[in-house]
Amino acid sequence: MSAVKNISIVLAIAVAAVLPTLWPNPYYIHLMVVIGIYAILLLGLDIVVGYVGEVSLGHAALFGIGSYTAGVLHFQLAVPFLLAVPASIAVTGLFGAILALPALRVNGPYLAMVTLAFGTIIQILINEMTFLTNGPLGLSVRKPIWFGHQITGTDYYYIVLVALVLALIVVQRVLKSHLGRAFEALHDSPIASDCMGVSVYAYKVYAFVLSAGMAGLAGSLFTYSEEYISPNTYSFELTILFLLAVIMGGRKTRTGPILGAIIIVMLPNVLSDIDLFRKISTGIAVIAVLYSAYALAVRMRTLKQVTIPVLVTVALAVSGYVMDNITDQRLTIFGVMILFVVYYLPNGIMGFVRSLIVRFRPQWVHRHVAILEQGDKQHVWSVPDHPVTSNGFLLEARNLVMQFGGLKALNEVNLQIAKGSVHGLIGPNGSGKSTTMNVLTGIYNPTAGEIEFNGKVITGATPSSIAGEGIARTFQNVQLFGEMTAIENVLVGLHHTYKHSLVDVVFQTPRCRREKNAAEIRAASLLQFVGLADLANEEARNLPYGKQRLLEIARALALNPSLLLLDEPAAGLTAPDIKELIAMINKIREHGITVILIEHHMDVVMSICDIVTVLDFGQKIAEGTPANIQSDEKVIEAYLGGSAQAA
Amino acid sequence: MEILAQLIVSGIALGMIYALIAFGYQLTFATSGTLNFGQGEALMLGALVGLTLVGHMSYWLMIPLVLVFGALQGIFVERVGVQPAIKTKSEFGWIMTTISLAIIFKNVAENVWGHDDITFPSPLPTSPLQFMGIRVLPMEILVVVGALAIMLAVELFNRKSIYGKAVVATSNDRDAAGLMGINTGMVITFSYALSSMTAAFAGVLIAPLTLTGSTMGVVLGLKAFSVAIIGGLNSGMGVIVGGLILGIAETTTGYYVSTGYKDVPGLLLLLLVLAIKPSGIFGKSVIKKV
Repeated sequence: MSAVKNISIVLAIAVAAVLPTLWPNPYYIHLMVVIGIYAILLLGLDIVVGYVGEVSLGHAALFGIGSYTAGVLHFQLAVPFLLAVPASIAVTGLFGAILALPALRVNGPYLAMVTLAFGTIIQILINEMTFLTNGPLGLSVRKPIWFGHQITGTDYYYIVLVALVLALIVVQRVLKSHLGRAFEALHDSPIASDCMGVSVYAYKVYAFVLSAGMAGLAGSLFTYSEEYISPNTYSFELTILFLLAVIMGGRKTRTGPILGAIIIVMLPNVLSDIDLFRKISTGIAVIAVLYSAYALAVRMRTLKQVTIPVLVTVALAVSGYVMDNITDQRLTIFGVMILFVVYYLPNGIMGFVRSLIVRFRPQWVHRHVAILEQGDKQHVWSVPDHPVTSNGFLLEARNLVMQFGGLKALNEVNLQIAKGSVHGLIGPNGSGKSTTMNVLTGIYNPTAGEIEFNGKVITGATPSSIAGEGIARTFQNVQLFGEMTAIENVLVGLHHTYKHSLVDVVFQTPRCRREKNAAEIRAASLLQFVGLADLANEEARNLPYGKQRLLEIARALALNPSLLLLDEPAAGLTAPDIKELIAMINKIREHGITVILIEHHMDVVMSICDIVTVLDFGQKIAEGTPANIQSDEKVIEAYLGGSAQAA
Repeated sequence: MEILAQLIVSGIALGMIYALIAFGYQLTFATSGTLNFGQGEALMLGALVGLTLVGHMSYWLMIPLVLVFGALQGIFVERVGVQPAIKTKSEFGWIMTTISLAIIFKNVAENVWGHDDITFPSPLPTSPLQFMGIRVLPMEILVVVGALAIMLAVELFNRKSIYGKAVVATSNDRDAAGLMGINTGMVITFSYALSSMTAAFAGVLIAPLTLTGSTMGVVLGLKAFSVAIIGGLNSGMGVIVGGLILGIAETTTGYYVSTGYKDVPGLLLLLLVLAIKPSGIFGKSVIKKV
């Protein structure tokens, strides 16, 4: 399959290369140039919209900043093309950072709101800053002269083609690297991602800046292609078109943005030519009716599901015949198209084609690249990134208070975890065990109190930086990256072992390959350790519950923690599995990792814990060796209600 | 000094309109975690429908009809755009659908009422009143009073009536409210009706002071985003203060810097507030439970 894929990619590039000779009409060559430029921008926009799952309504403005940076540099300072383009990328990336750094601090629709405001303001600023941008009159720019040769429209086509191919390679490599995996992980489960040291905030900003840089590249290329730029181009309407292109072409694909670019470049032409519009809308209506009839026949869809989309497409076709001019209805048609795609084609055209292929030729589609690395015993363990320096207690929590409104989930809790021990944390439901975990890992910021870990105060630090310090955890309600394979989940945990940068990823340097190989061997070894070696390439969401819990342990160990927090690891395990789990925890302890264990299976707690702390209503009611705890009156009272004497 | 006082007074009227639109964002954000990116268009439609009605009746009689129209428009947006996206829990979905409905409304308005801005006949005298050398238009007073009145009415409804309690319960915890037998889907639809209704009302309040046209809503809706974030998406007090801050910032920038730059402080304030206190000046930061 990959051979077929490679051949078709080479063929596609070859076809694109000979197109201008087959079709030497300057108008069409210019259209193709614009398609290429839009495709570069859309590849970047897809990183934000498709992979990270944020909505940007400011990409037209970023495109404009790229255009105007090149335009102003050329117009005011006569900077050459080859310098103006990288400058545009840098400036636009900077603007992206200015937007993303504040807007992504909070979850919610903030990025969409901020970028929308940004889009309007930028257009106003371009108009107002006449001394720089020449205001509404616009800027004129000439295509560069290289070695005494004036670059023509056709020459420029090849320049854009090269830029597009390079952009494709860069985006493909980034998304297949640990960076792309981080993007997918934070979209899949933000909390788990943070607790694996992959900061959701940092990588969202990273993705947005990358995407802004590509918008800058596209913008600067656009300046030289049009040779004249004015503020009106970079309107809200263009932003809408870009988003339409990304979702219509198909998110999370490389072909989708190219297809989307073709659609939005052709769309205005289609809408200005009523005959063409009639033909195309009739064609789409016929396809929709036929496909719905087929889907009904094989019972893939119900009548209720297909009625509205069929009616909409038919209505669109009919409207073409009723009206003799549809240019005025342009925005309505864009709006209807977006609604239609969001509801009935959520994965876009490429996603739809893919689902058809899956239906008829499932062996052609590979959702994941299988990682066939075999694990072994010596690669399971590695030293922590931050060696344990403190003697005595590895972690000390002093007077922890966690208050939710009027409820004190934790009230003045002191906790001392001895280095190398297995420390049990038990208590009835609602006693504050999981809250303790969440406070220790930085998910909650404690209302009062202090946590010292390995000689460092970590209170108030972010979950990802705490994970980086060497605290790993599992979750009571499993938080795996469901759409990733088991081994990919572990690789997210190994994210901290990838020290190479974006540049290494783009050029696939030996260092990049070395670290990738090492991580894959390590991941396979960890899977073997928890007994999931044969399920390495299975999607995590398809694993049975008990195995998912084991996978979480493997993923947590990948962080090379010095402290491992296990939140009810035995829940959902069968008796023989529990025996293996106990052996596993003992092995983890043997390798110098301190463990905090929350568990309701008392036999597990009593057999492996050195010290047990008992919580009740957010307060520590007892602490001691398992034997002492078992006979402690307060503990018995908390669990059974009423005193032991009274019973 | 007098000029500054004058600018502040003019800024207050503008700020109250922003506050009223932002209040509409809060209503839906509280119940469903979504907001209507076409709120500015709801305002614009309210103003234009009001303009058409005013040809046949008095301004005061037109207001209740516009309120009804606004509510119906909000229900339409919620049913077509938001409800399906809430079901699939897709943030991308509701943002895109409310935006596409917004551009459809704008396009329809362009085709019905034309591209040009139209003056809206003022129901009150257009000669300014003088207070200690500061000129105030009677219509500006009406804007402030009207905006405060409708916000107060909605707040009273939410606090005192049993239906309002359903809204508050849904805002606090949608799942729990659902389990207590509250039809939360209905509450969300209702919040959209209220939200668009306040926007339409804002439209007929502001229209006599500015020009009426299909593009009037875009910038107002956008400014109200800034106000909602500056004040805090969950603070009723916040939108009023946020609206006043932005309104005054704009009139003063317009006078002391340049009218061309009067839209800039909105974005700067927005970015600044997000950088310093992302939950807004008056917003409570909510601890997300895991």
